[in-house]
Amino acid sequence: MREERIIRGVVASVGTAIGKAVRTFDPLFVSFNFKLRQDQVRKEIDRFRSSVEKSREQLKRMQSELKRKSGPESSFLIDAHLLVLQDRLFVDRIIEKIETDWINSEWAIQQVSDDLFQAYDRLNDDYLRERRGDLDDIVRRLLHNLQSKPLPSFKKLPYDAILVGKLVPPSTLFELRSQRIVGLATETGSPLSHTAIMARSLEIPAIVGAPELAEVASGDLLIVDGDRGVVIWSPSDETVATYKNRDRDGKKLKKKPGVSMSAPSVTEDSVQISLGANINFSEEVRSASAHGCEFIGLYRTEFDFFREGKQSDEESLVADYSVVLKTAKGAPVTFRTIDVGIDQKSWDGVNMNLGVRGLRFCLENTDIFKKQLRSLYRASVHGPTRILLPFVSSVDDLDAAHLVIDEVRHELRARRQRYDPHVPIGVMIETPAAAQTCDLMASRVDFFCLGTNDLIQYYLVVDRSDQSVVHLYNPFHPAILRCLQQVYTLLRPTGKPVTVCGEMAADPPSAAVLLGLGFTSLSVSLAAYSRIQRMIRSVSVSQLKALVDEILKMQKPKEVEEKVRATVYRT
Amino acid sequence: MTEREVVIGHRLGIHARAAARLVQLSSQYQSTIVLFRSDSANLIEADARSILSILLLAAGFGSKVSVRAEGVDESQAVETICEYLAG
Repeated sequence: MREERIIRGVVASVGTAIGKAVRTFDPLFVSFNFKLRQDQVRKEIDRFRSSVEKSREQLKRMQSELKRKSGPESSFLIDAHLLVLQDRLFVDRIIEKIETDWINSEWAIQQVSDDLFQAYDRLNDDYLRERRGDLDDIVRRLLHNLQSKPLPSFKKLPYDAILVGKLVPPSTLFELRSQRIVGLATETGSPLSHTAIMARSLEIPAIVGAPELAEVASGDLLIVDGDRGVVIWSPSDETVATYKNRDRDGKKLKKKPGVSMSAPSVTEDSVQISLGANINFSEEVRSASAHGCEFIGLYRTEFDFFREGKQSDEESLVADYSVVLKTAKGAPVTFRTIDVGIDQKSWDGVNMNLGVRGLRFCLENTDIFKKQLRSLYRASVHGPTRILLPFVSSVDDLDAAHLVIDEVRHELRARRQRYDPHVPIGVMIETPAAAQTCDLMASRVDFFCLGTNDLIQYYLVVDRSDQSVVHLYNPFHPAILRCLQQVYTLLRPTGKPVTVCGEMAADPPSAAVLLGLGFTSLSVSLAAYSRIQRMIRSVSVSQLKALVDEILKMQKPKEVEEKVRATVYRT
Repeated sequence: MTEREVVIGHRLGIHARAAARLVQLSSQYQSTIVLFRSDSANLIEADARSILSILLLAAGFGSKVSVRAEGVDESQAVETICEYLAG
């Protein structure tokens, strides 16, 4: 048995989880290993064969294209791939595995190819050892083609699973949320990625940026410790027992939301702070209601909008949004219109953060934008609805958005569809341009949200998905403090409400700084809700204002951070 | 049963292209054809129709390989394959 080993990483979502590793093969798809019932074996073999057939067709097409372009010379490489697909050592053994072990194709492929990879690795010939790359390629192709076929009717993994991979895209985590995924651990990524945000909102403990995970195989026992920032690989029985006890205590706490949750959040010096929840999916709203959230400060709509890779149609969007509003039971819900582009770098290697993002995308794709706006307006009869525009960088953007909004309202009137004509429209302050000019935008909108994640990223020029610079991302940087102070000062005379909804509001020390700067409305993920509420009740705003005066004079982010932590945690 | 030993004449040994060609050649015959390294302790038999097993022979330039065939066209099969492997 392997010895217990501790792998360090960065906390993306708190809590601890014990489970078995399920490796994701590719950032774009995940394959599961599971046992079949005997009566499913036939079908599974058919499924495998059709994946082989599909792969063969793809390779043939590729081959003829290659022949056309560069003559027969280079197409022999494809020959080798095609021959693997008819190789008894490979195909027949996989079928045999499915038949005798009653396992799904993915698992059988993995087992057979793992054996072959080991055989290749033992070879004393560099050139031939490299051939494992070809096999790897075939395996990926087969797995990919298996994915396009619907999986047999397995609703759940056979055990508590911890997703392990180089990078797990947020959509994957979303698609698998009904599975028994208890934890997440990735080799790359940052706590500010969308995957991390999603892990937090699903309350799945997660560790990211832990390259040593590359050695972990499917089936290995793991503990994800999101409190210490480590993954424990092959933990000893003793360690498992310790964690199991802790887990039980944690659950006890969770099950006792008590009266404190729904009571208002008031500081020691009687300043009332509004505390809302950030939500990603309609399923979470119920839980937000149960927490006694005063409002949903940020409802990210991308996940509903691009369900399973396809755009939802208007009717299903209206239905989704209506459910959200009804479940919120009168608490206002701020829907942020689709912000595509976030974390796109992790999908295809292109940095979209400075490109067509958020409102820019919507204004270029008005059919999509209008569909969402129509759906939101139609749902607005079911409860207080607010519309938030992301990634605004100028008053021109806002004027363009208002034109589209007016058109949509006109269309709805023409269609004689009911909607709330007083839906407030707001701007997400997340670009430096918006931070500098929010007062100029004030007459055109009803409210503001402050998205600190992006704001910090753009202010400090730190790509939050880039492992090599993520340590420079710091909410305590004097530039950020000055920026936030400026936003507060610019907005105060306008009388327009502002809610801070970034990660900065979810971490007690930085959230305390926000209160000291004068902000009185925060919105955080459900996982952070009670800790922020506790923080609010333990501080006094007048003292925090003094703290802010002090830290605004400091020069170094580190100094600021230490001072804030010492003050906030002293209480 | 027909068996013959041959010295690999391909510069890169039985690399991907040679292995692919070998599978194609072997598939033209009805006999079962196996290859094994006669110059090493590695006594694994490779199925001449399995590209993966051929590659795993790791038969480099100058190594000795025995070709063994059994079936109606065994002698022809061994001859063609040895001729190809000799380069």
